[in-house]
Amino acid sequence: MSNSNAGETVVVVREVCKEFRRDQLTIPVLSGINLQLSEGDYLALMGPSGSGKTTLLNLIAGLDRPTAGDVIVCGQNLGQSSEGELAKWRSRHVGFIFQMYNLIPVLTAYENVELPLTLTSLSRRQRDDHVKAALEVVGLQDRMDHYPRQLSGGQEQRVAIARAIVTDPTLLVADEPTGDLDAKSAGEILELLHRLNTEFRKTIVMVTHDPNAAARARRILHLEKGLLVSEVVSSRAKESVQ
Amino acid sequence: MIPAKYNLRNLRVRWMTTLLTVVSTGLVVWASVLCFGLTDGLQYALKVTGHELDLIVLRKGATDEIGSGIEQKVAREIASLPGIAKNEQGQPQCSVEFVTILTKPRRNSGGTVNLIVRGLESIGRTLRPGFRIVQGRDIEPGKFEAMTSRSMAARFENLAIGEKIEVNRQYFEIVGYYEAAGSAAESEVWTDLRDLTIARKTPAAVSAVCLRAESPEQRDALTTVLAKDKRFQLNAIRETKYFEDQMNQANAVQYIGYIIAGFLIFGAMFAAANTMYAAVASRAREIGTLRALGFPQGSILLSFLFESVVLCSLGGLIGCLGTLPFNGLSTGTANQFSEITFSFRFGPRVLAQGVMLALVMGLLGGLLPAIRAVRLNIITALRER
Repeated sequence: MSNSNAGETVVVVREVCKEFRRDQLTIPVLSGINLQLSEGDYLALMGPSGSGKTTLLNLIAGLDRPTAGDVIVCGQNLGQSSEGELAKWRSRHVGFIFQMYNLIPVLTAYENVELPLTLTSLSRRQRDDHVKAALEVVGLQDRMDHYPRQLSGGQEQRVAIARAIVTDPTLLVADEPTGDLDAKSAGEILELLHRLNTEFRKTIVMVTHDPNAAARARRILHLEKGLLVSEVVSSRAKESVQ
Repeated sequence: MIPAKYNLRNLRVRWMTTLLTVVSTGLVVWASVLCFGLTDGLQYALKVTGHELDLIVLRKGATDEIGSGIEQKVAREIASLPGIAKNEQGQPQCSVEFVTILTKPRRNSGGTVNLIVRGLESIGRTLRPGFRIVQGRDIEPGKFEAMTSRSMAARFENLAIGEKIEVNRQYFEIVGYYEAAGSAAESEVWTDLRDLTIARKTPAAVSAVCLRAESPEQRDALTTVLAKDKRFQLNAIRETKYFEDQMNQANAVQYIGYIIAGFLIFGAMFAAANTMYAAVASRAREIGTLRALGFPQGSILLSFLFESVVLCSLGGLIGCLGTLPFNGLSTGTANQFSEITFSFRFGPRVLAQGVMLALVMGLLGGLLPAIRAVRLNIITALRER
């Protein structure tokens, strides 16, 4: 199920089940999921609400642990990692892009992008270089002193993407990254993700309801009631093969 | 670590709740520091009065100067005992003194209180710490003159320079103000021994003898002689012990102060905790984001504790600054029979107590909200709007 022209394996999801407990009830959300992603893959997870796509994304991002099965990302078995180990692992390997951008309102665009770098041992000068480079990639170097409230939705999401890539993570996870944007801004964000995938060879896992957004991915997986029901090689992937 | 500016700017953004919490913790620190400064001032006044080598000689059975009476002839004999320290002129440092209590009105219709008037000779001044005339002049014996401290003049009627104080229909004119290192002597009115005994019509009796021994051994020997020698049979009390007993009252004030401060601190801690709980609730998604980005739970805990400590420290700072106008301001309290005046003292120790209070309030008030922030489930927190 991996991308034929990609490099080493980044994500391995093996026989993964996830259940949630609510009072005395056990609610199965994912059942027997198998998935493999290689470096440079771009996967869109689609499906109706409650199908388990965000849960699968959270498992791959190390925000949650599976009830059964293995989730191995960048060589780390996430199900067997402690809370502290997961936090450290996320800071090194994962960049997050949220539907609501999740920027810290009291920090400027520059400071928001710098935030993940404060967890590294980089010097102030090195951090500055990284932040400016990331903001340049998203085309917002002239907005670095703006607070989130002074930016449009599309600009906020671009700052969030700069924050996601500033540590140069292997994997980018995006949960409905265009869900709160108008069509034009959504197009710009999708174009940016496409660039990150093709130019910077970032492995991307994106949850989306939007078929247009999904069409930008190389692979599209459909989930229903916690099961993988189909995989589609997107038109973009076909084009690249041709 | 989460940058401090994240917390500081959040405090600024939520300026209204920040202000209310700062004011409430500030008031508590202010009241507590004021209370500490008050007891510190009273303790200092009593402590500085007592000298290690000094004895107060009273009638057997008497516990204070007011209840004591010694025949003046006997009192004069004490000065000839060996072991009493001498001043530069070779005179024994032994002061025969007469103490009487007057009921006098406070200024500004503050009611009447007991006032100590002490008659003494010039040698008595050398037994008081740091005695010096600061305004006007010293009294001249035989002229029915008196002097007091500036704070007493400010607190009581008829004690300003040029005014006259009445003792048994005999008027004593105030001719000067003195200082005595903030000791209890500053709570008295001094006049000449003979003039006062004449006014009181008790020329043959005095209240007490104050003396300074040459050494601790001589002090103990003098105590024994004064108690056992048939000529005397008097009660010699170490001055430090005498004022220590009087200090019990200051300790009571201090304990009451601590209890009140405890209740206030408890209340202020709730205010700080409430503010921090609100902060955690309104920033759940930010906390989830920070956790997702890889900030460990310890960072979140420290970040919110830091915010709480900053909040309370601001209050503490304002509270401490608010007490400064009271520094050195004199006040009074009833001391057994009379009123003792003393000054608020906000030394480094008292201010450090205020700062410590603020830090403790911040740490304890912020701890539970910070733990709640740490325990937030990342995925649930990220879903918060």
